[in-house]
Amino acid sequence: MKTPPEDHDLIRWLDGEMNDAERAAFETRLNADSQLKAEAESMQKLGERLRSSLPKDRPMPHADFFNSQIQVRIAQMELDEERSSARASSASWTEWFRLPWLAAAAAVVVAMVAIVSRPDSRVAASDVTQVLSTYAPNPDVVVRGYEDADAHATVLMLDGLPDLPADQKIVGYDVHGSRADKAMASVTLLGSDGQPLVVLAKDSRDQPRVWDLTTRG
Amino acid sequence: MPESSAPDTGEVPDLDLVRRSQDGDTRAFDVLVTRYRGRVYAMTYQMIQNETEAWDLAQEAFIKAWKALPKFKGDSAFYTWLYRITHNVTYDWLRKKKIRSDGEFDDSRTEHQVAAGALAVPRGDAAPDAALRNSELGAQIAAAIDQLSDDHKEVVLLREVQGLSYEEIAESMECSMGTVMSRLFYARKKLQELLKDTYENAA
Repeated sequence: MKTPPEDHDLIRWLDGEMNDAERAAFETRLNADSQLKAEAESMQKLGERLRSSLPKDRPMPHADFFNSQIQVRIAQMELDEERSSARASSASWTEWFRLPWLAAAAAVVVAMVAIVSRPDSRVAASDVTQVLSTYAPNPDVVVRGYEDADAHATVLMLDGLPDLPADQKIVGYDVHGSRADKAMASVTLLGSDGQPLVVLAKDSRDQPRVWDLTTRG
Repeated sequence: MPESSAPDTGEVPDLDLVRRSQDGDTRAFDVLVTRYRGRVYAMTYQMIQNETEAWDLAQEAFIKAWKALPKFKGDSAFYTWLYRITHNVTYDWLRKKKIRSDGEFDDSRTEHQVAAGALAVPRGDAAPDAALRNSELGAQIAAAIDQLSDDHKEVVLLREVQGLSYEEIAESMECSMGTVMSRLFYARKKLQELLKDTYENAA
């Protein structure tokens, strides 16, 4: 929407948006132009009536309830966020161990993969575990990991694994949940009854370790 | 000349309350809500002329402000930033209302987000402001403003009623200063025309 500059001048004069020099120049014009002066006075009167008729503040009905509702909603939002991030963290570890070929890899213990859940926005948004580093005791095994956004998953590739004998027993885990221990920097995977199955952590040399609790006792 | 400043409460400055709110202090945010709820509610009410919906929109504006607080850098006054959020919330509502009135949706109810456990949201009358009712001139002015387009209505309210500067209006309405001036000029011309009879009778 285009408005002639002289109209802008009138508006800026009315609203006190001119500097001293501009205002003096415009007031000279006003005094020389009776039509412009009448227009300016009419608009000034309009502004005065608007301001006197419409309240800047309007009393809020049920003001205390208004405030308390906002507090309740904020509390709910924060609770939802906590639950959501807890679910994301749990799901990422669980998904990792639900990969069938990873269970096979764990059984033959040929590779260790350091996976760290970082609570940054990218991880939260993609809802998958981010692979930060990998380690394979067997130098013939190459471990690669990446996030597949389309599949909504973390993919681990283990190249160079020896063929498994046909009678090899493959161990898998029926993971139903997880429990993170920040102090110990570990995650415990839990079975259907909440029993610990596997502990993921790092050893004293900061190397990733997996403790399989299902074969003990 | 309308003043373009935050309410002088003689209390904690807005920015201090904002910083505390950004650190998660909901009580500090509650003070900001109390400080600005009247102005936000006046804006939403004057824009849509319905107390119930205006109450909900004002609340929505504060909720969105809380969510967006981490992004608030303090480059502008808090209330200017809050007005921009109020503008967006109100325009979203107006857009949805227009779609509903165009017949694309049968559901004419406004979506409400009510806390779990709340029995009901109090509802006020959808009647115009009592002060305006008592004033024939005020009622005529309110009716004339209601005939303006949303953009013209808002620019007049922000300038004449809320007293924002051109720069603050441009920021709130996300438009240029030139657009602010053009809208103000045409809105005032239109109001002059609509209130011509009122002027003559009052003179």
